[in-house]
Amino acid sequence: MSLSRREFLKSSAAASAAAAVGMSVPSELEAVANEAEGDWRWDKAACRFCGTGCGIMMATKNGKIVAVKGDPAAPVNRGLNCIKGYFNAKIMYGADRLTQPLLRVDANGNFDKKGKFAPISWKRAFDEMEVNIKKALKHGGPESVGIFASGQYTIMEGYAAQKMMKAGFRSNAFDPNARHCMASAVVGFYQTFGVDEPSGCYDDIELTDTIVAWGSNMAEMHPILWSRVTDRKLSDPDRVKVVSIQTYTHRTSDLADIEIIFSPNTDGAIWNYIAREIVMRDEAEGIIDWDFIKKHMIFAAGPVNIGYGMRRDGEKSLKEGKYTALEMETISKEMSKVVSNKEGPALEPYGYKAGDTMEHTAGTLGHWEISFEDYKKSLEPYTLEYTAAISRGNPDENMETFKEKLQALANLYIEKNRKVVSFWTMGMNQHTRGTWVNTLSYNVHFMLNKQAVPGSGAFSLTGQPSACGTAREVGTFTHRLPADMMVANPEHRKIAEHKWMVPEGTINPVGKQHIMKIHRDIEDGLIKFAWVNVCNPYQDTASATHWIKAAREMDNFIVTSDGYPGISAKVSDLILPSAMIYEKWGAYGNAERRTQHWRQQVIPVGDAMSDTWQWVELSKRFTVKDVWGEWAPSGPRTEALPSVIEQAKAMGYSEDTTMYEILFANEIAKSYKLDQNDPIQKGYDNSEGYGDSRNVVGSDGKVFKGYGFFIQKYLFEEYAAFTRGHGHDLAPFDMYHKVRGLKWPVVDGKETQWRFNAKYDPYAAKATKESGNSHAFYGTIAKALPFGDLKGVKDKDKKSLANKAKIFARPYMDAPEIPDEKYDTWLCTGRVLEHWHSGTMTMRVPELYRAVPEALCYMHPQDAEDKDLKQGGLCWVESRRGKVKARVETRGRNRPPRGLVFVPWFDEKVFINKVCLDATCPMSKQTDFKKCAVKVYKA
Amino acid sequence: MKAMYKITIGLAATALLMVGCVGEDVKSSPQKVVKSTITEESLGLRKTDLYSEDGTIADKTEYRTSQATTSSKIKRAFQDAPPMIPHDTIGMLPIKVNDNRCISCHMPEIAGAMGATPIPVSHFTDFRPKHKVVSGEFVKVVDNYKNEVAIKKESKLQGSRFNCSLCHAPQSQGNLAVENTFEPVFTSKDGLSKSSWEGEKLTESLNTLGDESFITQDDIANKNSPAGTLDGAAH
Repeated sequence: MSLSRREFLKSSAAASAAAAVGMSVPSELEAVANEAEGDWRWDKAACRFCGTGCGIMMATKNGKIVAVKGDPAAPVNRGLNCIKGYFNAKIMYGADRLTQPLLRVDANGNFDKKGKFAPISWKRAFDEMEVNIKKALKHGGPESVGIFASGQYTIMEGYAAQKMMKAGFRSNAFDPNARHCMASAVVGFYQTFGVDEPSGCYDDIELTDTIVAWGSNMAEMHPILWSRVTDRKLSDPDRVKVVSIQTYTHRTSDLADIEIIFSPNTDGAIWNYIAREIVMRDEAEGIIDWDFIKKHMIFAAGPVNIGYGMRRDGEKSLKEGKYTALEMETISKEMSKVVSNKEGPALEPYGYKAGDTMEHTAGTLGHWEISFEDYKKSLEPYTLEYTAAISRGNPDENMETFKEKLQALANLYIEKNRKVVSFWTMGMNQHTRGTWVNTLSYNVHFMLNKQAVPGSGAFSLTGQPSACGTAREVGTFTHRLPADMMVANPEHRKIAEHKWMVPEGTINPVGKQHIMKIHRDIEDGLIKFAWVNVCNPYQDTASATHWIKAAREMDNFIVTSDGYPGISAKVSDLILPSAMIYEKWGAYGNAERRTQHWRQQVIPVGDAMSDTWQWVELSKRFTVKDVWGEWAPSGPRTEALPSVIEQAKAMGYSEDTTMYEILFANEIAKSYKLDQNDPIQKGYDNSEGYGDSRNVVGSDGKVFKGYGFFIQKYLFEEYAAFTRGHGHDLAPFDMYHKVRGLKWPVVDGKETQWRFNAKYDPYAAKATKESGNSHAFYGTIAKALPFGDLKGVKDKDKKSLANKAKIFARPYMDAPEIPDEKYDTWLCTGRVLEHWHSGTMTMRVPELYRAVPEALCYMHPQDAEDKDLKQGGLCWVESRRGKVKARVETRGRNRPPRGLVFVPWFDEKVFINKVCLDATCPMSKQTDFKKCAVKVYKA
Repeated sequence: MKAMYKITIGLAATALLMVGCVGEDVKSSPQKVVKSTITEESLGLRKTDLYSEDGTIADKTEYRTSQATTSSKIKRAFQDAPPMIPHDTIGMLPIKVNDNRCISCHMPEIAGAMGATPIPVSHFTDFRPKHKVVSGEFVKVVDNYKNEVAIKKESKLQGSRFNCSLCHAPQSQGNLAVENTFEPVFTSKDGLSKSSWEGEKLTESLNTLGDESFITQDDIANKNSPAGTLDGAAH
């Protein structure tokens, strides 16, 4: 590295060293007051936290962040952040940042699963990873190497990980924590539109008259969007209506005109009730836009006996008795369940009645076209009487009052000339029928022609900052490839293989190891190596005790890369120190399809390096002969994965060519130059590109001097290639550094406001050129269907539905575990405004920690009294799976009805996921964290 | 009183992690005897046994109980950071459309008399451009490709800032879970207690690439990006 360039970079070694010495800064702050901002450097960046995707302005001085403010130019948040957003300033400065790799060792320094942690070099860390990955490959092929991926990866990190996993290791045991937060939304999109991600955008908030929040505490979880909703409401309080549909009262209800508290899992019944009102009143009132329906819609149905995504009979850990009799009480429902009186009427059109035994098979995505008459039949049960009887969630609410609210809700949707936006988050997604409920939302909007138009639409809010941008768009899922391509599709594999310059046949076609499956495969002994990237799966997964036990007590090797030692790090065998968000170049994509980039603001602490660097360094350890030979059938894959070594040789690779040379440091990659004259790079560090002033000793035992090319730009541009020309178009890398994000598809430099709408979306415009239709739902997945009725397929011939979307018949069904005499209370878990997910960052920010230092058990005062619990006193919350202690809160921000408690999951000391149930939507595989049965008693 | 801002680092933890680090021969032959090790329990926030809940209790919330008019203010965390709430909030929350008790003391015209922090100018400033629908067509009133802003000072508290608890929270007393080494630098004399974010400051440094902050035709064409296309491969 030349001296001149080193001078050019604003290296921060001195400042970092000063901080590491540990000092009390006697800063008479007033003495430094009036200091000019002259030596501050302001730059734009994206917030680290939720899916809203706010823009921040970040100031650095001497290589340290000194301030954050809301970015006035950012369209999402216009000069305002929430409390977490402002404290992005402090998230990297917790005193216990991980600064070195740590390995569990014995007294001689050898790896020992039962040992304590000792600091090791990066070289040793990669040695251990290499050995253990090779061991795992030998044990069960690519299916034995698993990755807990993330919706908090930067786009580049996610893409690097995906490439190495799918093209390098040929493993699809790669799935993100985003599976837990929006998989049901995704499958809802695929089933309804044939393509992922929303049609609308946040501008709908200012354009609408009605905001309906379904199972979403937007006020806390999407606070800036809620500030926009509040602004809209207060700007015209009589016209603008806000409806809050929840299982307990919280801050979102505080602004609402109507609050509907429903019984857990019955949101689908309410959607069907609204649809029934539309359909049954249509003849008299002319509600349905039939012209729109005929041109753009078909009706569809699928099987209902699809289980609840739990473990099934025959699985190894069940056979080995790793689940207790109490746990099996619930798990047995996965195989069969007696139809309850509550769900009986809803299931009658599908051929079941109360008292029948429903035999479940594992979830399927299959569905078929039905007639409108059959769709109508599916809605018949949802009279106001029935819907109100099963869905009233507050036992103390007058039934007539509740019915009036449901009626008022339906009327708001139906009212001509009233624009309506429906927002939802985890309530509808974390649901054992989450995919169904997502599709039900579009039904109502479609029939009223209130979807994909300015000011109206059903809009899925995303939880994580790049669940859309990375997890979904890059495709860091077991079954996905970039830009909505699938590993199961041979054409898609070929396109990816070609782009990645790897032999045809490299990519493993079986992608079934979703995140719950990865945990279960570790417990079953299939996965022997697992690496945690930018997430905390040992805190954030339901039935947590099982997974922790499997990690600690079985013969496997678990690695966690993180900024701080969270629970996943603690239960790991190897801990790697990761650079955090503003210590690296990056990009996120938010819930409105907006992609936002930022530059590296400061140099990482200690020896921490980015996750991109960790993946790229790992790729140096594996050659063609290590990973591209034949692999025998394993896990979900029933056929051998053929060797592609000969084809690789034909492409000019040798058996000893490393994955690094093929996937990351190829000639195209190297053409992306580091250039301090480039206005985007000028004056900014690039620890991966140049190395940096810390002189970190890297994976080969030598000082890491950088890759010598602009690797982040290469990774982004190569990934973006998959999106361009296919309705996902991302703008060029450089453009994003000049604007506050753009909503894809970006065509000819212009972003898209409303997808599928011919006026706004160039792809829709193209598709409707001849028909002159207003919309084109041009997604291509499951766009040819057989025909049938509510009970099954009658005509197997598939008919094309190009450019059409689907309205689904889907019934209400019970959750697999509901309160009974012994476990008499619903448990709902979730987040709070002040903390992000498992709290690893926010619990280390003094202001956020002090705002909410503990997870409380929010409950109704009457329940507390009945259970002899006192406000502020300790209680046990116990399920069939485990118990935790928490303090009782009866007067806080969350106010549950009798019969339900809410306990957030950010607090390591209130480890609520030991209590939760790992049932999932069997179609989306997303866990239902919102429902299980507990008992609450004095501790 | 001069403010003393102490920053202490969790030295014990930091020191442990520094053992045997940079500079020394890092090949770490496995045979080398390990001098210091770190237990699983000593890492992270939860220092108790992870495998049982009997001995684990959450950190108790101890918000200040002093009344609104008598509480001493909490210093801002950095220049223009949102101030935290120094007083008891029982009975003041939730904030509803027709019932926001915060503003009854914090509106600038009365804050002084109440001894409360006045709501600053930024909260009376409208930052959001009002895009329109003109004959069925959505029309933006600012150009986001040029990072344009539409900022207007108004006399009324902005709706977007009506939910005070979005940014301002009471603070529990007692020890932190972990210290934080962030060091604020204040640029205005009264930065510890007052927002300076108004006037020209609102728009400074928004062009983050200086004179080259604007999209060019070359940017859109993306000519120098050989990785950036699929060369016509359809999917």
